[in-house]
Amino acid sequence: MTMSQKLTQEDEGIGSRIRSNPRPALIWVVGALALLALEFGAIVQLVTSTVPGVGAIELPTLLTRELIPNQGYQLPNGSWQGTFLGLSPAIAWLLRVVLVYAYAFVWVAWVWYGYLTFRRNYRFADWTPTDDRIDRLRGHRWGQFGFIVVFAFVMFAMFAPALGPTTLQGNIIDPYSNDVSYYDEEVGEVATVTVGTANLASQSRGNPDQNYGLWSYDPYDRFHPAGTISNGKDMFTFLVFGARISLFIAMSATLIAGGIAFVLAMVTAYYKGLADLVTVVASDAFSSIPLVLLLIMLSVVLRNTWIASLYNGAVILVLIFGLFFWPGYWRTVRGPAFQTVENEWIDAAKSYGQSPLTLMRKHIAPYVIGYLLIYASLGLGGIIISTSALSYLGLGITAPTPEWGRLVALGQAYVPTVSWHISIIPGLAIVLVVTGFNALGDGIRDAIDPESEGSTEGGTAAAGGGG
Amino acid sequence: MSQQRVRGSTRGNEGAILSVENLRTAFFTDKETIYAVDGASFDLQKGETIGIVGESGSGKSVTARSIMGLIESPGRVLDGSSIKYRNADAVERLAEEFSGEVTYRDGNGEPEGDGCIVLDEGAEGAAGGRGYIDLAHAPKKIVKRTRGGEIAMIFQDPLSSLNPVYTVGNQIKETLNLHRDLSGTNATDEAAELLEAVGIPDARMALNEYPHQFSGGQRQRVVIAMALACDPEVLICDEPTTALDVTIQAQILDLLDDIQDERDLAIVFITHDMGVISEISDRVNVMYAGEIVETAPAETLFLDPAHPYTRGLLESIPGRNPDAERLTTIEGDVPTPNQPATQCRFAPRCPEEFDACTQVHPESVESSDGATDHTVACLLYPEDRSREDAVSLHERRGRDGDETDDEPTRTEAQR
Repeated sequence: MTMSQKLTQEDEGIGSRIRSNPRPALIWVVGALALLALEFGAIVQLVTSTVPGVGAIELPTLLTRELIPNQGYQLPNGSWQGTFLGLSPAIAWLLRVVLVYAYAFVWVAWVWYGYLTFRRNYRFADWTPTDDRIDRLRGHRWGQFGFIVVFAFVMFAMFAPALGPTTLQGNIIDPYSNDVSYYDEEVGEVATVTVGTANLASQSRGNPDQNYGLWSYDPYDRFHPAGTISNGKDMFTFLVFGARISLFIAMSATLIAGGIAFVLAMVTAYYKGLADLVTVVASDAFSSIPLVLLLIMLSVVLRNTWIASLYNGAVILVLIFGLFFWPGYWRTVRGPAFQTVENEWIDAAKSYGQSPLTLMRKHIAPYVIGYLLIYASLGLGGIIISTSALSYLGLGITAPTPEWGRLVALGQAYVPTVSWHISIIPGLAIVLVVTGFNALGDGIRDAIDPESEGSTEGGTAAAGGGG
Repeated sequence: MSQQRVRGSTRGNEGAILSVENLRTAFFTDKETIYAVDGASFDLQKGETIGIVGESGSGKSVTARSIMGLIESPGRVLDGSSIKYRNADAVERLAEEFSGEVTYRDGNGEPEGDGCIVLDEGAEGAAGGRGYIDLAHAPKKIVKRTRGGEIAMIFQDPLSSLNPVYTVGNQIKETLNLHRDLSGTNATDEAAELLEAVGIPDARMALNEYPHQFSGGQRQRVVIAMALACDPEVLICDEPTTALDVTIQAQILDLLDDIQDERDLAIVFITHDMGVISEISDRVNVMYAGEIVETAPAETLFLDPAHPYTRGLLESIPGRNPDAERLTTIEGDVPTPNQPATQCRFAPRCPEEFDACTQVHPESVESSDGATDHTVACLLYPEDRSREDAVSLHERRGRDGDETDDEPTRTEAQR
């Protein structure tokens, strides 16, 4: 209170406020840079690996498999060679996972601390509408559950190379070009064998003699936190990279669909009339096409074309989802957008000559973007399910690129057997992630629109208009 | 006789900064067509305040919105309406910019083409200000250019005309940026000055506060500051004091008065409150069901109201008839004007209704012969004529009006 009063007299923007009291800001920036430095290489690699044609750029990074290796072999005396500090692979792997997640959550905490620092020291207003939203989210356990699940899932995908007990390339894509060392007890010395050969010995085939379930070692001393799948590949590695592609598809498709919906919502709400009518008809046309059938058809028709091979078929899925999800988003935000336009401040802004573009951006968009966020969050889950469903049917993402739905299909025959994990684990994971996205959406909704609490959704309040 | 003078006086309104002539705005719904404003005419001089008063639903706000070009589908300003804006600077500037829209006037003062910017032949560059922009016909891009900088508007509810998610300073600066090309520190200084000018204490501090942190009266002051930030010539106030309590009302009215003196603003003040209108307006237009039924200087209107509706309105002011046991009211509601008028729309509620009222549509006439600044649309007037005489005068005017559709009958008082 006194802070902001004191500042009032000579307010010249946030820059001067930071200059006059740089300590808290500096502390935060230094902390953030230190955190960033730890994993800078991983971020560069993540970004460069998603850009086609560049190829992953490797930079030294902490928290990598190279620094905390979990791949090694056990000598007859029980000691481990090649693992981190001679720990057993399970412990070494677990340590890496814990560290990665600890790192991620430290980031969350640091960002939160940064926000609080800003709020305490630098923000001019004592209060902004965002404060209420955040306060509401703070008391929203279901939304927090959603946030944690979604965040964990995103980290799961982001840190996939560090989280997997083995590498995608070495274990899944190209097993015969990579070797694994083990201690051959018959010969009594360390020997190497290709991963492909080793995988043959680690298949989970549903009978007790041939099953490597959760938290198990295979004959080549490789550790499988989530067991192996029917062809002997490591399931956890499969899961982390599957999460990556699911997340990529869901995010990009939602961005495209949400972007189209957002622009159309602005235009239809502002201009109404014909623009609205045309969009209604177009959205009806798009919605009337059965999406799953179309996906199946296109997957088959485009199977051998160049577009279907981009990112193992992910790009074509993104485009289809993006093109067919916007009518749903647009319909849900059309109501709020129309409602917002009816507000008098819109007329007031018009009455002093504000341009339509600024009016949309400044006076309508902030009220619509929140709703879009809710439905995008809910829709992400739907896209993840659809992608998995396609893979389950053997379409969509092409093998050997990991996709959760394919795991469900692979393990289907083994569900009643000891190898139940192949289907059940990814199935549960899909359920959990989708629930998480829904919970997060609920949380955001209750935070930005407390009045809708308990009701089904805010989109029903479609103010009549146009004609 | 008066017919001649009425025609002649059309030329006399050149001094007005804003002339609304025969404004008709209709809403076309599937069920019916509603003539929300049906032939309203008035002139506004520089530095003058005119009031538009009437019950809810009488078309006051639609009149204001029509002037601002804020009528949205399914509504439309009908052909034959004109809203002539005569600020010389603006006419000149826009004439230069949109030369395709310029039309010159012929000898009779009638525009030769159908462009919306009408200039006098020979008055090169419109330096003498002998031209006008017809906002009723102007394309959107021209109307948009007049919004704010030329004609600004203040809305009824000060809370809802401010965007709750931006600080007051942000919103005033947005306007300043748009109209005076100010940004950064300059804009902040100017915004603080404006807030001070409208009487907000601690203006620098107030810039960083959100609309909800202000009281109702302060909010309206902020809204006025926003309107002033555009530096307008004409200010349209659409019930700016309705949402405020009486003491605050008085303060806001004083403020508007001061601002008008300072800046030589022309104000159109819309309200349903007879008390407020008596305080602020120089001339009053009484509106009923889309039509202006009586026009007079404020004093005349209050001392000598002519139209039965005006009398009813005045009688229903609490405190004007202290002896009455109950408050006098006008029975019934404003009818929805969903058909072109063929009779007096007030007739069903009128205590002085007679047979002709349901057959003849009353036109604007002088309240008595010679009373040029007081006009009434009622078959009882001009009052010094016999009833039959008066009725036939109205009939005649009505027919003339139909024939020359786009030249409305005008009288001295409507200026």
